[in-house]
Amino acid sequence: MESSSQDLHSPWYGRRKLLKMLEGYAYLTPTLVVLSIFVFIPIISSFQLSLTRVAPFGNAVRYVGLENYERLLVRLINVEAAQTYLPYLLVALVLSVIAIIGYSILKHQPFGQYRSRLQYLIIFVVLVYIIAIVQGALRVSLIFTLGTTIPGITISVFLAIALSMPLRRFSWFHRLLIFVPIVISSAVTGVLFRWIYHPVVGYINYVLSLLGIDGPNWLSDADWAIVAIMLAVLWRQLGFNVIIALAGLQSISSTFYEAAKVDGANLWHQIRHITLPLLSPTLFFLFVINTINSLQVFGEIDVLTQGGPGETTRTLLYDIYFLAFRGTPQRGIASAESFVLFILIVILSVVQFRIANSRVHYQ
Amino acid sequence: MSMPTSEKEKSAIAVRSMEERPVDLRSEIILQFLLFGVGLIVSFPILLALLSSFKVPEDIINYPPTLFPQQQVHVSVTGYDEPLPLYQLTLDDGTVAEYAQVSREGGRLYMVNPSNPGDMIDVAPSAAKRIERFALSFENYETAWTSQPFARYFFNSVVQTGIIVAFQLLFSILAAYAFAILDFPGRNFLFYLIVGSLMVPFQLTFIPNFIFVSELGLSNTYIGLTLPFLASAFGVFLLRQFFMSLPRELYEAALIDGANSWLYLWRVVVPLSKGAISAFGIFSFLGAWSQYLWPLVITNEVDMRTIQIGIRFFLFDQERGADWGGIMATAIIALLPTLLIFLVAQRQLVRGIAMTGLKG
Repeated sequence: MESSSQDLHSPWYGRRKLLKMLEGYAYLTPTLVVLSIFVFIPIISSFQLSLTRVAPFGNAVRYVGLENYERLLVRLINVEAAQTYLPYLLVALVLSVIAIIGYSILKHQPFGQYRSRLQYLIIFVVLVYIIAIVQGALRVSLIFTLGTTIPGITISVFLAIALSMPLRRFSWFHRLLIFVPIVISSAVTGVLFRWIYHPVVGYINYVLSLLGIDGPNWLSDADWAIVAIMLAVLWRQLGFNVIIALAGLQSISSTFYEAAKVDGANLWHQIRHITLPLLSPTLFFLFVINTINSLQVFGEIDVLTQGGPGETTRTLLYDIYFLAFRGTPQRGIASAESFVLFILIVILSVVQFRIANSRVHYQ
Repeated sequence: MSMPTSEKEKSAIAVRSMEERPVDLRSEIILQFLLFGVGLIVSFPILLALLSSFKVPEDIINYPPTLFPQQQVHVSVTGYDEPLPLYQLTLDDGTVAEYAQVSREGGRLYMVNPSNPGDMIDVAPSAAKRIERFALSFENYETAWTSQPFARYFFNSVVQTGIIVAFQLLFSILAAYAFAILDFPGRNFLFYLIVGSLMVPFQLTFIPNFIFVSELGLSNTYIGLTLPFLASAFGVFLLRQFFMSLPRELYEAALIDGANSWLYLWRVVVPLSKGAISAFGIFSFLGAWSQYLWPLVITNEVDMRTIQIGIRFFLFDQERGADWGGIMATAIIALLPTLLIFLVAQRQLVRGIAMTGLKG
C-alpha cells in the first residue's frame, strides 16, 4: 500500500480508497464465483462423494468411510504381487547402490559424481516394480502414458531440430503441415484414425501390406488397441510438442554452436553435447505436460475403443467415466478414483521434477 | 515455464533470425525432402478424410484403397436416354476395346459400342474393367447433413462456443485488469488462487459439477453446457501478463486527464491489447469447440448434442451400415471451423503456445 502524506489529509482519502478496493474486487467477482462453484468447491464435494456409496437398489446414500479407497486399492494394485516382489525390489535397490559405489571405486572418482546416475537407476527399478504390481485401469494408464510421452517427445525434438535449420524457402509450409493437428479435436482425431485403422480398407494396413507386413486388426486386437490409441494421441499432441521444442531450441545462443564448429564438432556431436543438454529445461517441461495430458485423454479412447477390447484400453479416466455414467452409476468409487488420478498426477510431476533438478542444465 | 516478454523473444518462434547463414545446398535438399515427407505423413489423416469425403459409396470401400476420389465414366449413346457406364473389355481375340454397359442379365453383361450403337456384345463380368476418372461427389455432404440433425448440432456448437468465448473474454479482461492495474488487499493471494486452479484436473471436478448442474435442472440446456466454463484461469493469467507490460505512466496520465479506471480499461487497455486478447480468443474458441467429456455427460437429448458428440453417435449408428463417406464428410464439417482459424491465425496461435507453454 502506498500512502503519501498528501493523500492522507484529503477528506476523500478513505472513501476513494475504499471505492478503488471495491472496484478491484468487483472486477474479480465473476471469475472467482465461477471458479469457486466449478473448481474449488467440487474438490471438497468430490472428496465427500468418495466417502459414500449408493445402495444398489434405491437412492439411499450411505457414508462408508474409506471403503471405496480400499476397494480401489484391490482393483488397481495386485496386493499379492506387491508382497511377492517387495524383497526383489529391496535387493535390486541395494544392488544398485553397490553397483554405483563399485563403479565409482573402479573409476577412482568420488561417489558424489555418480549421484544422478544412482537416482536414475533407483527410479528405473521402482518404476519396474510399480509396473509389475499395478493392474487394471492404473496399469493401462501407466503404459499408455509411457507409450505416448517418450516416443512423442523424442520425435518432436528431432523434428524441431530439423525445422529449426535455416532453410532458404518453404519453412512456413513444412511448419503448416506439421502443426495442423493442434487444432483438431479429440473426437475428430478418433474418427480420422478409425478410418485409417479400418480392418479392410484402412490405409495403415494397406501401406504395411505394400511392405510385406500383415497388419494387425488394430482396434479389436487386445495387444494393439492401446498402441492404436497411443498413435492417435501422439499425432494430436505432436504440433504442440514441436512448437515448445522449437521455442526451446531458439533460446539456445548460437555462440555455442559457433564454438563447437571451430572445435570441429559434427552435427550429431552438436546435438548430443549442446542441443540436448541445453534443451533439458524444455524437455522436462514437455515431460510434465505430456504426462498430465496423457492421463487426461478421453475423446480418442471413447471414439476408437470405448475402453475395449475387454478392458485393455480402459484408462483411469475412462474407468471413472464408466463407473460414474454407464450402467448403475457408482459415483462414490468413481470420485475416489478421480482423487487417485489427481494424486498420481501430483506424484509424477514431483518425480519428474526431482529427475529434472539433478539433470537439467540452465544456461 | 519461462515467460519471455521482450520483443526479441516474442518473435522467437518465427523463422530463425535473418542474419543466420542458410544451410549448404546438399543439406537443404535433404531437409526439404525429409520435412515435406514428414509433413505429408502428419497431415495425411486430414487429407485422407478430405479426399474420402468426396468419394461415391462404391469407391470408398475399394481395395486396394485409392487416394483420390474417382467415379466411373458415363457416355451418352444414341438410342439410350441415360448416359451409360463405360468399361474396358478384353475381347476373345485379345484386343482391348471400350464398351458401355446396357444391362446385366443371367450373369452376362450386355455392352454396346458407344461409337457404333448397332455393335452389341455380351461378356462375362470378369472381362470388364470399369473406366474411372477423378471426380468430386458432394453426395456424402448431403447425406451427412440430412440423415440426422447435423445443422442443429452445428448450431448448438456455434451457440455453446459463442457463449463460452464471449464470457471468458469479458471475465478474463476484467480480472486481469484488476490484477495488473488496480491495487487492493489480497491481490497476490487471489491471483495465486486463480492460477492454482489450473493445476486441478477437470476429471476431479466433473462428477460433482455434473450432479450440481443436473440438480439445477440445467442438463440439455445451453446454460448447462457452458456454465462451468464461463471463467478461464488461463485467460486471466495470459492477459494479466500482457496488461502488466503496459507502462504505468499511461494509467496515471489517464487519471489526471479525468478518466476513471473503467474508461481507461475500455478506451486504452483493451485497444492496446488487441493482439493478446485475440490470441486468447483463439485458444478459448478452440477449447470450447473441441469439448467432449462435458457435453457427452450433460446432454442426452439428440437436439442438444454439439457437433463433437453428434459425430460420435453418427459414427456408432453408422458403423454397421458403414457409411464411411458420410462419416468423413461430418468429420470435415466438424474440423473446418478450427482449420480455418489455424490457417488465418497460425502465427498468433503458435506464438501463444510458445509463450505460455499451454494449449489454453
